[in-house]
Amino acid sequence: MIDTVAVAAHGLSKSYGRRRAIEGVSFEVERGQICGLLGPNGAGKTTTMRVLVGLSRPDGGTARLLGEPSRLAAEVLARVGVAIDGPAFIPHLSGRRNLELAWRAGSRRWPPPALDASLELAGLGEALDRKVKGYSMGMRQRLMLAQAFMGAPEVLILDEPANGLDPGEVRALRQHLRRLAAGGAAILISSHLLAEIELLATHCVVMNEGAVITAGSLEDLLGAGAYEFDVDDAHRAEQALAAVDGVESVGTHGEQLVVSAPGRTVTELNQALVMAGVGVGAVRSRRSLEEVFLGLVERNNAAD
Amino acid sequence: MLLIELSTQLRRMRSLLLFGALAGIVVIAGVTEASKAGGRGGPATFSALNFTEAGLNFMDPVLFGLVIAMLGSIIGGSDRDWGTLRYLYVRPVSRARLVAGKWWALMVSCVLTVAVFLGVALLTGLVVFGWHPFHRSGSSHLSALAATGAVLEAGGYVIVCLLSVGSIALALGLLLPRSAEALGISLAFLVGSAVLDNVRSLHAIIAVLPVHYWLRWTSLFQGGGGGLALGLAVQAATAAVVMATAYAILARRDPAA
Repeated sequence: MIDTVAVAAHGLSKSYGRRRAIEGVSFEVERGQICGLLGPNGAGKTTTMRVLVGLSRPDGGTARLLGEPSRLAAEVLARVGVAIDGPAFIPHLSGRRNLELAWRAGSRRWPPPALDASLELAGLGEALDRKVKGYSMGMRQRLMLAQAFMGAPEVLILDEPANGLDPGEVRALRQHLRRLAAGGAAILISSHLLAEIELLATHCVVMNEGAVITAGSLEDLLGAGAYEFDVDDAHRAEQALAAVDGVESVGTHGEQLVVSAPGRTVTELNQALVMAGVGVGAVRSRRSLEEVFLGLVERNNAAD
Repeated sequence: MLLIELSTQLRRMRSLLLFGALAGIVVIAGVTEASKAGGRGGPATFSALNFTEAGLNFMDPVLFGLVIAMLGSIIGGSDRDWGTLRYLYVRPVSRARLVAGKWWALMVSCVLTVAVFLGVALLTGLVVFGWHPFHRSGSSHLSALAATGAVLEAGGYVIVCLLSVGSIALALGLLLPRSAEALGISLAFLVGSAVLDNVRSLHAIIAVLPVHYWLRWTSLFQGGGGGLALGLAVQAATAAVVMATAYAILARRDPAA
């Protein structure tokens, strides 16, 4: 039986000297999931990723990849694609030669199974045969992604993969990651581009000051069925929506009407308002990840 | 890993320039002395074999040591300099495999350094001074065959000697944050050892320094080979202790440190 949990962090702790980097970090990523690892700078995202791939030894807790304990140069890493701490290549060799040497370093025959698809995503064209020292930041980033993807990995650990990419490249990356997840890969991705994570991720882990402050599905985190309406008569709108089946709560937030109605579409709610003679200026289907994230971090900081 | 190290290190411009400079020194020396062929410029100008032996004497220990300290520290520290070390670990490449690959690359570098030097020296000497028996001042001659054997043996001995200082540079390259720091310390050790080697009152210290034994190959051209076994043992012990220590430190160190 295939274990559905592909990435498992249980109680991970790590300190650098007196500075605590992470403390009691626990979460899991299953096959087919795209999990966004979010947090402000210094939250411990990169340290967590380093521990997961064996690049840092935890002071406590356990990290497992595909059911195997993860440690430095563990064999299971051959089934994992990693992009961490930015791109790094041998500058006097070509992009293609870098990929080849990186692949052969794992004692495997060239070429890797997903080379063509990875090179297509990288889109380096003839530049692939030029020395890496002449590459732009974006080109290095794309080559790094090709390196992470070329082995058709079952798990991907990606630290800020969209850095230096233009909007078209970000979109191509998003589509590629979705395809990999649909094929059963588990993807853990850290990024400061919250709008991008919102479009891409199925799950999220939010960290602050070295600890996980929330983890779960993106839908749960954002609040499925939560809407904000700009209306001309808040009192009448409140009454109209409260009478609709499936509406759990209606309230005001500033000048907006905030409605929680899991299972009801925005069209149905809008229709109820119009039928009640309420003018609707604008509607937002839910809170943005940015709002949720900033709210969580602010509350966590205030609690400390 | 050896092939990867050789691809990334020995084929780079810096290494090729180093080997080119080594060959260039020999050719320039030969051309400069060409007008004194036949012994008029000293023993080195008697024959190709004399020229080669004199060249070895000139290069060893400091200049050869400098070349190998450069190559050793670069081989040891380049992955860290480039930032590619983390991507090797996640391929995955174990530390043992990484260190072994680098050490074998160092070994190839030592062999190449001496082979390039001897090859160019013999060829230059042959063209400029001709193929004659090995001439020793105030003593009998060595036949060309015996002298050729001595040159090859001396070359082998020098390779082992270079491996000891190369291992020091490699170990420092593996352990220090940048290969430039490893190179600096290796050169300081090399030059310091060469200076100390002339201070007779420090015999107890000198006896454990690998550089102290480096010129013992000269006895091969005097019909003997005394002390070479001890010299080889000290070089091998130095390389083994240094590499074992480096591996032990690496194995205990957090990779992210």
